[in-house]
Amino acid sequence: MRSLKPQTRAPLLPLLVKELWEIFGGRAAWAMLLLLCPLVGFSFMEALRIYSEASSVAIGSPVMANSLSPLDGILVPTFGGFYVAVTLLFPFVAIRVLGGEKESGAVRLLLQLPYRVSTVIGIKLVAVGLAWFVAAGVACGSALLAWLFFGGHLAGPELLNLLLGHGLYALLVGSIALFAASLSDSSATAAIITLAFTIGSWVLDFTTAGSSGFMGLVAHLSLTPTLRTFEGGLLSFGLVAGMIAAITGFCGLAAVWLPTGVPARKKMWRSAVCVAALGLTLGASGALRTTFDVTEDQRNSFATADQWALAKLTGPLLITVHLAIEDPRYVDLRRNVLAKLERAAPNVTVEIADGLFSPRTGTSDERYGEVTYVYNRRTDASRSTSPREILPLIYSLAGLAPPTQLSTPDYPGYPLVVTQTGPVWAWFFGGLPLLIALCWRWSRRTLDVRKMFKLEDTHAHA
Amino acid sequence: MTVAVLRSEPLMEIVSLTKRYGEQLALNDVGFAVCEGEVLGLIGPNGAGKTTLLEALAGLLPSDNGFVLVRGASIAPARRRDFMFYVPDGVRPYADQPVARVLFFVADVYGRSREFVAGIVIRVGLEGSLAKRVGSLSKGFNRRLMLALGFLARQPLLLMDEPFDGFDLKQTREMMKVLRREAAQGRTLLLSIHQLSDAERMCDRFVLLSAGEVRGVGTLDELRTRIKAPNAGLEEVFLALA
Repeated sequence: MRSLKPQTRAPLLPLLVKELWEIFGGRAAWAMLLLLCPLVGFSFMEALRIYSEASSVAIGSPVMANSLSPLDGILVPTFGGFYVAVTLLFPFVAIRVLGGEKESGAVRLLLQLPYRVSTVIGIKLVAVGLAWFVAAGVACGSALLAWLFFGGHLAGPELLNLLLGHGLYALLVGSIALFAASLSDSSATAAIITLAFTIGSWVLDFTTAGSSGFMGLVAHLSLTPTLRTFEGGLLSFGLVAGMIAAITGFCGLAAVWLPTGVPARKKMWRSAVCVAALGLTLGASGALRTTFDVTEDQRNSFATADQWALAKLTGPLLITVHLAIEDPRYVDLRRNVLAKLERAAPNVTVEIADGLFSPRTGTSDERYGEVTYVYNRRTDASRSTSPREILPLIYSLAGLAPPTQLSTPDYPGYPLVVTQTGPVWAWFFGGLPLLIALCWRWSRRTLDVRKMFKLEDTHAHA
Repeated sequence: MTVAVLRSEPLMEIVSLTKRYGEQLALNDVGFAVCEGEVLGLIGPNGAGKTTLLEALAGLLPSDNGFVLVRGASIAPARRRDFMFYVPDGVRPYADQPVARVLFFVADVYGRSREFVAGIVIRVGLEGSLAKRVGSLSKGFNRRLMLALGFLARQPLLLMDEPFDGFDLKQTREMMKVLRREAAQGRTLLLSIHQLSDAERMCDRFVLLSAGEVRGVGTLDELRTRIKAPNAGLEEVFLALA
């Protein structure tokens, strides 16, 4: 008589290995790897060419050289090509881990295995993450190795922060793909849903760029801007927490919709709970304002002495900007002053004054362009967008003496002229695609069944 | 609800199981019991509700009413997989993967040894197909693979949808022996079979399902007695009760 004691635990490794075989057993992953070669290769080579041109002028001029950062010049453009692939191609790879099982009916076997549905979805997400890691390693890893080979400089925190951002973005796309696949019976439908998210985010980003009010809120739904913070060299705890919450939320929704034996009404209720929890978590993560400037040139921060002094401004600092947000002066002010102030001072509120100016009609009142600063019931105003004028103004409002600047070494910049790029072209457009094709061929090899059974004398043979 | 005459303690009892697809009643107040170690045949024409019933039992399809008892305890749909494993019909699992890899995946999940897998492979006749991709298998060999996956699972009750579909007569008889051996080792089998001649050869007892309703439960002799035709075959019994 067989035991009725249920098997409550099953090893996770076979499930993970199966998912990886599913990803790399199909053609989608290999096609993406092949397409990454020209995409990332071209992005890297173009970045290298432009960086070299700028460097050839900057070499010998320290002032010009310090504006040459590998983060902006090489890493961001190279990973930009990779981002395009993750947005357009990666959904097809991610969908495969579930879409194939839904289409073939194998999901009915999968759901009977002794795993929780959340475990199944979690393992699938891990496999998707590993697939991204392989893709990033093959394409971006090649570019970074080539950059180092040419003598280029890489700052570890900048690179890791950028990788974190791209990895989280890929997992977000992967979790959306899993959710879409759990909802739909065919991979094609799942792909349409996922691409609606990723390409829709692009469209949303274009159409709502610079918008305020409701459209500004809608713009926050786009996935595209999430990477900009990482590309700017900022590690934002709120953003990371928000992305992790969104990934968890989509995986939760996938786990709600995957089981076939649950009535639709119950799934709707569970989804509502999941969405509510996601909304609360996103709201809470939005309140997390801790950020780290991981850039080598500390571009997101004021000088160290100013950072320390501003951190002591415990009272509320209210800044009212009489500028339209599409005005270049506002863009300057935000980048040079406001963003840094929000990070440095503990209690900063920035308001945009309404109704002062319409760029379309060109009408404005005399206060347009003015920025008002209120601290300790003392008010001052300025039209400057430079921290050199604004910081002394704020110190004056706070009754503080401007701090003595510490002598810290200036960011030197890393100019580099690369002329011999032929081997890199050959690698990205010849060697690497060939290597990927060989690996695909290897993955399709005939199995040595005798070896798999670990039996010398068995009836089982291929 | 039809009450079965049982010889031993039931392993599983199905009580008043009802399933609707919109206005259509797919299963209507279905009830019967499955005894430990028996081979129970779920027979009925196409569209009788056999697959719907098996999927609802396995917890893969929500039912509108009814419950399932295992050894007298009610088991929620989400927990039924702990006690039964359903081998569906028409599934070609992981078509891009070699047969051996699919077998080893399920074997590793259930902690089965390589020797155990080799034994199953020989029993179901998959020796020559292990390196082939599942997508390239014929219908019969895909069926052998599905049966093998069922044998690898550890649940005491196996639900199989059309286990002989895709086999010729000789192969069907071979597979019957394999299933009989599985039952002899203590596994309880609930088989959905639309070929009545196959069911008659294979099963200890029968559940006759027609238009979503149970029309009769029992051994062939019990069913013959019920229709008062002592020499009738299963086909005649079914026609009389359906």
